[in-house]
Amino acid sequence: MGHYVIRRILQAIPLLLIVSIVLFTLVNLAPGGPLAGRGQSRRLRPEQVAILKRQFGLDQPVYLRYIYWLIGNDWTKIDTDGDGIKDSPGQGKGILRGDFGNSYRTRTPVIESIGNALKNTVYLMSVTLLIVAIIAIPIGVISAVKQYSFFDIVVTTLSFMGQALPEFWLGLILLLVFYVWLKNPLTGESLLPAGGMHTLGVPFSPGDWAKHLVLPVTMGVVGWVTWYSRFLRSSMLDVIHQDYVRTARAKGLTLNKVYFKHALRNALLPLVTVFALDLPYIFAGSLYVEIIFAWPGMGRLYYQAAIDRDYPMLMAILTIGTMMVIISNLLADVVYAKLDPRIHYD
Amino acid sequence: MDRKIKWINLLVVVLLLGSSLAACTGAQTTATEAVPVEGELVEPTLAPTAEQVIEPTLAPEKTSITIVIGEDPPSFNPAIAATGFDALVMELVMLSLADLDEQGVAYPELAIELPTVENGDVVIDEENWTMDVTWKLRQDIQWADGVPVTADDVVFTYDAIVDPEYGFWIAGIDYVDGVEKIDDYTVVVHYNTVYPAYLTQFGGYLVAIWPAHYCDASQGFSQWDCGLNPLSNGPYMLKEWVQNDHMTFERNPNYYEAGKPAIDEVVVRIVPEEAVRKQMLLNGDADLHMWTPENVIAELEGSSNVEVSLSPVDRWVMRIFFNLAAKGTTDPEASPHPILSDVRVRKAIQMAIDVKTISDEFWYGYAKPVWTEFFRPPYNICDVPQPVYDVEGAKALLEEAGWIDQDGDGVRECHDCTTGAEDGYKMEMDFYTYSEYGETLNLTQEYLAEKLGDIGIKLNIQRIEGAVLWDTAEAGGIEQTGNFDMDIWDDGYSGNDPSDYLWSYYYSEAAVPDMGYNYGRYINPTVDELIDASYTLDEAERQDYFCQMASILNEDLPELLLFTTVDANAHSSRLQGVRSNANEIVTWNVADWTLK
Repeated sequence: MGHYVIRRILQAIPLLLIVSIVLFTLVNLAPGGPLAGRGQSRRLRPEQVAILKRQFGLDQPVYLRYIYWLIGNDWTKIDTDGDGIKDSPGQGKGILRGDFGNSYRTRTPVIESIGNALKNTVYLMSVTLLIVAIIAIPIGVISAVKQYSFFDIVVTTLSFMGQALPEFWLGLILLLVFYVWLKNPLTGESLLPAGGMHTLGVPFSPGDWAKHLVLPVTMGVVGWVTWYSRFLRSSMLDVIHQDYVRTARAKGLTLNKVYFKHALRNALLPLVTVFALDLPYIFAGSLYVEIIFAWPGMGRLYYQAAIDRDYPMLMAILTIGTMMVIISNLLADVVYAKLDPRIHYD
Repeated sequence: MDRKIKWINLLVVVLLLGSSLAACTGAQTTATEAVPVEGELVEPTLAPTAEQVIEPTLAPEKTSITIVIGEDPPSFNPAIAATGFDALVMELVMLSLADLDEQGVAYPELAIELPTVENGDVVIDEENWTMDVTWKLRQDIQWADGVPVTADDVVFTYDAIVDPEYGFWIAGIDYVDGVEKIDDYTVVVHYNTVYPAYLTQFGGYLVAIWPAHYCDASQGFSQWDCGLNPLSNGPYMLKEWVQNDHMTFERNPNYYEAGKPAIDEVVVRIVPEEAVRKQMLLNGDADLHMWTPENVIAELEGSSNVEVSLSPVDRWVMRIFFNLAAKGTTDPEASPHPILSDVRVRKAIQMAIDVKTISDEFWYGYAKPVWTEFFRPPYNICDVPQPVYDVEGAKALLEEAGWIDQDGDGVRECHDCTTGAEDGYKMEMDFYTYSEYGETLNLTQEYLAEKLGDIGIKLNIQRIEGAVLWDTAEAGGIEQTGNFDMDIWDDGYSGNDPSDYLWSYYYSEAAVPDMGYNYGRYINPTVDELIDASYTLDEAERQDYFCQMASILNEDLPELLLFTTVDANAHSSRLQGVRSNANEIVTWNVADWTLK
């Protein structure tokens, strides 16, 4: 197993390199660029364009920009004062030495912005996934065990409705109901806050933080629960019709023991793969949830960077995202082997 | 690890990790406090404090307002990015030499009075056509750490801007040869020409004066740390900034205007969704909604707890740009546009557009018709007749120009037209706009295409991101490369001096790709001369030049100006003193705001 993991990690290195080249080329060559004005300055003056090009390193050809991005430019000289002579040492260390560069927008290290946003996104997404697990697993099991029962039919119908709901619309409706329409009868304030992670200017209180979680988590949970419960239902159906379940029942075990101790554990196995492949979402967050509920997370950071053509920020998020996908895949395979003794890699 | 590991256990571990991260997030939000104390310089430390600091001074009468905006400001230095959000927060903490009020009249901030020719502070050398501007600074203004604001700060700011390595370019800076300190409270700006916009050169909503003793010049004007954690000399001080979430400002007790500001705390919250910002204002969770668009103003009408402040002077003009050179080319002489190079076609398009209907249908009646660049005080003095909406006249004009629909497909073709297009050339063009503006502009664009389609001009609607539309020619930007026939969007100059703006849009040199914004490739030597001549301080002469230009542009119609969009800010009724200002950003007079 150890050999397998090491081999996979070694394989990931050229893969990452190739992916980074493709991403860098795509990001840099896509139409539109950071030198088009935005916001109020819809125009940049030629003088400003010349300065920004230098400061962002856009005066270099794309292949050189990639090399600087990868290994830095502190080993060579660059032109910083616009006289056409490369006479100043570069400052970048390159991502191989952990320097993801500075954002074009804020001129601060992108890794700091990512760090701040990532904490908020992981916080939101892990609570969301916890709730998803708490709701989806029992629903999936019960609707499989009681296939075609009233409960199963209701859940199936609701699942399809949940899948079909546009996430953005759902968020706005949640706000309309819980922020605009419903008021707290004691204080007269809105039942739930419009957004943000906590009330500003008051001391930390878990209740306040929880209140701010309710709507964003609900918005995120709906889609995931329907997807996970449907998946578990079919997986469970597969399992409970197998011979060993019949054997277990023939031994005289109670139904609960059969379903939850024998069947569920096997039914959860394929879910591990699905879950591991969804892990990168914990990193990426959900753009719509973050926009509607003003959540300062990764989705918005990426969106803003895309609008601004903030190449260093885009590349950092995409690279880390790629690594997350590779790691989660590896994790899925490893965990799978641990859980299922029939699987061997070596 | 044995294989009895329960999958659920794994999940729980993952989620516990997540919740512990959540706890870290809780501590992080209070981590960026840097409260400058009178008399000592507080380093902009970002040392995390593990526990929430509960200030004993949190008296119940502490007043606070919340401003909601859509994006995090990139920094406190709008000269770099000018997103408007940076200007909003800059005006809270920084002062400059002079600003503009909502009528476009300059007033001094750091200066005692405005330098003019009359008071002798502006000296023009007629022979060399240069000028020296003397600024006398107030002596009662201090930075938040108690250090007085002096001439050194002005010189420092200028040096930082023109630094060849990490400086930046601001309007008119090429006209400045140097900034000289005379004494602690007097500086002279040496100009190598006569520059009419000198009053807001180091002012307005884009340029602030930066503290020489606090900012690190070696980090550079465009990226220094004090642009993210500024030392205040304005009405408020930055207390906390949680990126993409909120910024908290507290009253600067050392602010030079006695008794101001009246409000103790200003919170700027980043709320990306427009509908949520509006609802927060209605629910009383926000006090100011920056840049309220027309459709939101219409929705807010009639709500008792919200008022809308409209700027008396508008800046943004929705306009159609005509490409006078053939699509994809940049020389209007060598390759004139097969359709638009005939001024009669441009006139016909103008006659076929009913601005009033557009305003009523899509802009809730807030769009005001505009038909000349010279519609804003102090240069709204020229006599340019308002165009008449006349569809039949437009059709007749197109027939006269040789554009006739002979094959009956509803689209005119060239039959003896004078643009050099071959006979039978279809009157079909690509009509661009940018997608970020949203539905109001999209509907306007569609309506225009439909109405012009009715008179036989077929327009294919194209919508692209601003980052593509406005990119440099080198990078393939649609406008700079001339890869369009017509496009519509809103533009207009800031401040009260149109000279630089007119140069950028109508001067022949600005028609060279990436040298300006005259990508309609309008070339007129008379206009060039008039723009050159307008760089003078003689107001009577300027008015004369501008009015001559107004009538030439009205004849030539290189751009078709349609209407202004509002510069409006909705605010809660309890917040008093908000005066929207198209020349500035809404927080320009934040020190005067009060709570009812």
